[in-house]
Amino acid sequence: MATTAPVAAQTETVTLTIDGRELRVPRGTTIWEAARQAGIEVPALCHDERYDPVGVCRTCVVDVGARVHAASCVRACEEGMEVRTSTPELERQRATLVKLLLADQPPPERDPKQTTTADNELLAMADGYGVSRGDGIPLGSGRGEDDSHPVIAVNHDACILCDRCVRACDDIQANDVIGRSRKGHAARISFDLEDPMGESSCVTCGECVAACPTGALVNKPIREVPIRPRSELDQVDTVCPYCGVGCALTYHVDRDRNAIAFAEGREQPGSRRRLCVKGRYGFDYASNPQRLTVPLIRREGSYPKGALSSDVRGDGRGRRKPGGVVDYDEVMPHFREASWEEALDLAATRLKGIHSEHGPGAIAGFGSAKCSNEEAYLFQKLIRAGFGTNNVDHCTRLCHASSVAALLEGVGSGAVTTTYGDIVNADVAILAGTNTTSNHPVAASFFKQARRRGTKLIVVDTRRVGIADHADIFCRIKPGTDVAFYNGVMHEVIRRDLVDREFIADRVTNYAKLAKVVRDYPPERAGQICGVGPDVIREIGRLWGEAGAGIIFWGMGISQHTTGTDNSRCLIAMCSITGNVGRPGTGLHPLRGQNNVQGASDAGLIPMVFPDYQKVDNPELRAKFERAWDRELDPEPGLTVTEIVASALHGGVRGMYMVGENPFLSDPNVNKVRKALAALEFLVVEDIFLTETAEFADVVLPAASYMEKEGTYTNTDRRVQLGRKVLDPPGEARPDWEIIQDLANRIGLPMDYASPREVFEELEALMPSYHGLSYDNLGATGKLYPNDDPEHSDGTVVMFTEAFPTDDGKAHLRPPEWMPAKELPDDEYPFVLNTGRLLQHWHTGTMTRRSYALDAIEPAAAVWIHPDDAAELGIGDGEFARVSSRRGSIELAARISHRETRGNCFIPFHFREAAANLLTIDEIDPYGKIPEYKFCAVRIEPARFPVGTEAG
Amino acid sequence: MDGGPGADRAGRPAGGGDERGGLKEAVDGRGAAAARRVPGAEGRAGKFPGPSLIGPLKAIQRQHGWLPREELVRLSRETRRPLYEIQGLVSFYPHFRTEAPPKVEVACCHDLACWLNGGEERIRVIRDRYADDPEVEVREVSCLGRCDAVPAVSVGDEPAASGVEELVETARAGSPERAPAKRGTEPRPNDPYAPGEERYRVLRRALAGELPAERIIAELTDSRLRGMGGAGFPTGKKWEIVAGEQTQPKYAICNADESEPGTFKDRQCLAEQPHLVLEGLLLGMLVTGAEQGWVFIRHEYGPEERVLESELDAVREAGLLGSDVLGSGRRLDLEIFTSPGGYILGEESALLECLEGHRGEPRNKPPFPGNHGLWGKPTLINSVETFAHVPVILERGAEWWREQGANGATGLKLFAVSGHVERPGVYCVPLGTTARELIELAGGVKDGAELAAFQPGGASSNFLSPDDLDVPLDFDSLPKAGSMLGSGALVVIAAGTDLLAAATNVLRFFRDESCGKCVPCRVGSHKAHEILTELLARGEGTEAVDERIFELEETLRMTSICGLGQVALGPVRSVVELERGRAPA
Repeated sequence: MATTAPVAAQTETVTLTIDGRELRVPRGTTIWEAARQAGIEVPALCHDERYDPVGVCRTCVVDVGARVHAASCVRACEEGMEVRTSTPELERQRATLVKLLLADQPPPERDPKQTTTADNELLAMADGYGVSRGDGIPLGSGRGEDDSHPVIAVNHDACILCDRCVRACDDIQANDVIGRSRKGHAARISFDLEDPMGESSCVTCGECVAACPTGALVNKPIREVPIRPRSELDQVDTVCPYCGVGCALTYHVDRDRNAIAFAEGREQPGSRRRLCVKGRYGFDYASNPQRLTVPLIRREGSYPKGALSSDVRGDGRGRRKPGGVVDYDEVMPHFREASWEEALDLAATRLKGIHSEHGPGAIAGFGSAKCSNEEAYLFQKLIRAGFGTNNVDHCTRLCHASSVAALLEGVGSGAVTTTYGDIVNADVAILAGTNTTSNHPVAASFFKQARRRGTKLIVVDTRRVGIADHADIFCRIKPGTDVAFYNGVMHEVIRRDLVDREFIADRVTNYAKLAKVVRDYPPERAGQICGVGPDVIREIGRLWGEAGAGIIFWGMGISQHTTGTDNSRCLIAMCSITGNVGRPGTGLHPLRGQNNVQGASDAGLIPMVFPDYQKVDNPELRAKFERAWDRELDPEPGLTVTEIVASALHGGVRGMYMVGENPFLSDPNVNKVRKALAALEFLVVEDIFLTETAEFADVVLPAASYMEKEGTYTNTDRRVQLGRKVLDPPGEARPDWEIIQDLANRIGLPMDYASPREVFEELEALMPSYHGLSYDNLGATGKLYPNDDPEHSDGTVVMFTEAFPTDDGKAHLRPPEWMPAKELPDDEYPFVLNTGRLLQHWHTGTMTRRSYALDAIEPAAAVWIHPDDAAELGIGDGEFARVSSRRGSIELAARISHRETRGNCFIPFHFREAAANLLTIDEIDPYGKIPEYKFCAVRIEPARFPVGTEAG
Repeated sequence: MDGGPGADRAGRPAGGGDERGGLKEAVDGRGAAAARRVPGAEGRAGKFPGPSLIGPLKAIQRQHGWLPREELVRLSRETRRPLYEIQGLVSFYPHFRTEAPPKVEVACCHDLACWLNGGEERIRVIRDRYADDPEVEVREVSCLGRCDAVPAVSVGDEPAASGVEELVETARAGSPERAPAKRGTEPRPNDPYAPGEERYRVLRRALAGELPAERIIAELTDSRLRGMGGAGFPTGKKWEIVAGEQTQPKYAICNADESEPGTFKDRQCLAEQPHLVLEGLLLGMLVTGAEQGWVFIRHEYGPEERVLESELDAVREAGLLGSDVLGSGRRLDLEIFTSPGGYILGEESALLECLEGHRGEPRNKPPFPGNHGLWGKPTLINSVETFAHVPVILERGAEWWREQGANGATGLKLFAVSGHVERPGVYCVPLGTTARELIELAGGVKDGAELAAFQPGGASSNFLSPDDLDVPLDFDSLPKAGSMLGSGALVVIAAGTDLLAAATNVLRFFRDESCGKCVPCRVGSHKAHEILTELLARGEGTEAVDERIFELEETLRMTSICGLGQVALGPVRSVVELERGRAPA
């Protein structure tokens, strides 16, 4: 279908008259569009510019001089057409149509939309025509209501079958849940096989609610905050607090209640008004009554330090409250409330003491990828300039450290080379080890859409992840065999001579070495290692090699291995040898996990580099920062997250400052982390809730949440966006940047920033990539960096069009050999454990498990097992299983799923009561220092009692 | 949809046009581009691309007798198609069932011709007879296309003109009877082949190059043959449009899905002249350049489908199908597609939607199928009768055909005559024959009663009064009289019949068969039926019909997507006007 027709269509025009006005429009323009452009509004209920027209409500009919009227939303303008959009006859018929629809509606005083946001489009149209429900037309459709969903109310009576929700679900989000069922007057929208919405495969993105013009699909109030008309609420334009996609949204805030009533997607070049369940419904965590509101100091009697709750101690059998979050009743008595003065003084004194007694290396800081750029910057400045150590890191270590290591080595920059939306320009896209529909749902919607528009989608994963259902080729590889797989693909690309010789000659080094290495990976051998048919590898090699534009997206399935850097090196090589970098529809895009993991890394929360990846061991660069910060700085790279934990165990690191990190659940081998945390002499934890990690703290500082402060956040696309203050912080909670500043001043590092804006100005001056960006030019939708002209341009989509920012401007290939994972299954531990995330949850669940919607939809931990394995193990769906590794054991419900592979299982790591990281291995990648979360050996057995019910 | 490797980037449908960093922006909705490619082609809301699931669903139903949920979930998983799509199909097409069927299913038609002939009473009797029989389910259904053997009943999808009890018993015993197609003995005047003579002569000549496409089109145009399915579009013109399209591939479809109450002439044509139907269709394929053709037949026409199947075998055996037919270099393939049910599929764009595997909901038009038909390709669609007339026209010439008409009309026409007549059936007479002549041919009004009214063109045509008996039944005269030729189905109503009730019966048919896609038809037909049913229940008549009905009639007629909604209330309005003594508008 790829012809030149569209180009021709753009030049051809037709002339017609609409309401007597002569118009000239491009051929193919609908009458509705043409009228609108001429300032003539034609009513419509089923039509919206975002969707393809379907012409079903018929209120947009116009008189084209034919036997019957034409639906203007779908009818194309024709040469010489004479259109009348408003005649007494048309208006009469439109009024009749509205009357017909009204007759089946609930009464306005009970209409779900009119009684909430009060913007029912049908009722507004009825008012316009002066008609009301029951004007001679018998009432009632009898289709009923569906209250099964926790946050979306369905009223089939209020449905006018406009198909907007169908198009929203299918064409926009590609979730494919809603359709029309039955026929005639019995026709209705339905979910899956006419299942209740709450029991359907609906992923609660809420796109249907946003699309619905009537009261058929509306949001339910969350935590009893009533949904009111927009005019009665305050609108705050900000960014979603969850994943790295960074969707723009608007919160509708009830000032009387200091709470968010509902959220809506907002136009932005990346996310384009889309949201997922977390963004649209997971906003209420900030209002959870468990928020920390005053500083806390550990009571004398609660020393020596150790975990305070039975869960965290590891003897969780006697849990009083199964599931959920930290048991405050059990933990809080170990702390006393303190003033900010006392808490900060104590923290400063103790950290300073450790510093002077044991040297800079005894101090370490964990920053957070959830905090703003400004806060990340201040935090690393505090550790570096205040304590003279580079022992500062954050959770990027746990997600894309290996990708960044490979990218810095290979192309000289850790950021993505193009945006996720650029997939639309790709012929072939490879999604490698990324469960995007769960972890980056809005980006996934663009991937699915691109595929429906012709991009070939190749999904390579060990599990049949959701996006695999949309793939042209789904390639299920054995865990830990990525290097062999991509070497096999490259072998085929080279064998077929599909490499881009010119690109290689001009822009790549070490190609010969790569060719030599992959020569040993013919598809037969690679396929044997990966468990994939050689023909599939050949086909992928052919498709990739022949693609005019190829793009690779990847996630933790690539990075979280002891070979994570090698895996990423392969992907860099894949793009380099085919010339797939630096043009539209090509590139390398590691999908970033947390909302600001890109920004936190940019801002220097990495032990080896200052802000903007400027190496600490480069004297010139160090001198620049020494000048800027007026302090002598440590020339040695610091310890990483995983190394800091190990160091704490052996008396290296003794004092720590942790902002918004929860290593107890997020780091591998929890039993080891527990010992490390208990071994610390002094620990300050700054967070919005009392986390598992905070149980080990000497001082706990209550932070303002994302919702309660201002700052900038950088998404996976390199889009820097302004997050605005939505709510007032509870109690005495304060923004992190203020707390960091106060602590800095107490340890002798003067800071005097009046606002995050001032911090941003400082970091912008030190970060060439952010050059030119300012609070004033970020605008409503943020800007991509680098950006030569932020006043007028959205920024750079495609990077490295001419050269790479390496010393010689070329991509440096470093071909890896395949190496097996560190702990292979054996008779005792025969299964491979894979860990990861669920759509509804995020990180260690501190926020999502305190969000009503997210917790209601996914309340419990589970292990996903292949049906045949489950049958062999004698475990039924929903029954409890005990999963054990050499490091620990957990009990949780089994979910039998066709998405798993035999011999493998999957456990999300969000759930403290069955912490996946009790099982994981703490082996790390030698370059990125990232743990091998995606591979360890476990045993699965039926558990007789569910967690929490067995007597302790 | 292959925008595959190396495809020219400029060729990718341009969306948005918003240039940022020299990039095309992603556009919401993949179809936005599609809509731009073909002006007026609507979005594919709820329709999934990919092969039709109707076939696999039929296969599951054949295996289990119904569609168990686990099978549907499995189908969804294996085909990677959404569950909603499957539900949309299963709940739309009456053929599909989501519960185990009873051992014996008895379907009773309740539409006009049956209703006029004691249908309600027969349904009551059958219902009573099997009320306590757990193995027998009695259902009321829409027109079965057997209006000449009324009231029509079928047992296990086989027509049962009489002897319902015997059929139920054989079906109960597990060996349902397969009814033979009803066939006349006399050859029809539109058949150029004498009994025993080798058929497909015209097709062979065309394949041999003796009849070039242009000549066939010219001959058809000259003959003034028009579509016999109801809309009356000039056949030569239609073939010319499809032949002139440059897009490949092209398709051809014989619409054998007549389902309107009173209309059963295509059924007879299929039973008696399957060779003419297939020859016409194959000629259409030759002329337009289509290589694949289908006969889309309603599932209630089991006996006729079997006739057609054996004729298709004969065609195949004669070497008239295949990749290089008779050495002509042309590929011709034909398949029979059995409808999963529903009157609306007779609407050609709904039929296309069904063939593509979607819910049979009519498309917004234009574009028309000739330009943008099956899977967006140029598609020739004619009805059974239209195709059947083609061979004789090409054999004997346009002039001969024109001369067959009467009263200024041209050609022959198959009329189905039903209702209150002595000999309901299918009659092949000159186009332009008057209703009076046709009723006489059918033995006159039943029991010698007075005529109250008649519909000349099937259930969708307006009622005419006895004053109109001498109006020639043709394309031009009937509209002048306030009705239309439609499908050529004359429904006769004797004096003593409640005309408003008859028209309401017709409305019920349209309400039941509305696909529900557009508001006026979905809601309007339902509400109008409610209003009229209440009115009739109160014992009132046309005098009580108020402005609301006229308002609805106008709205349905002017704003509905397809013919079904446009005509649904016409008959009601016509009887009101007829009884009020006004000339129908």
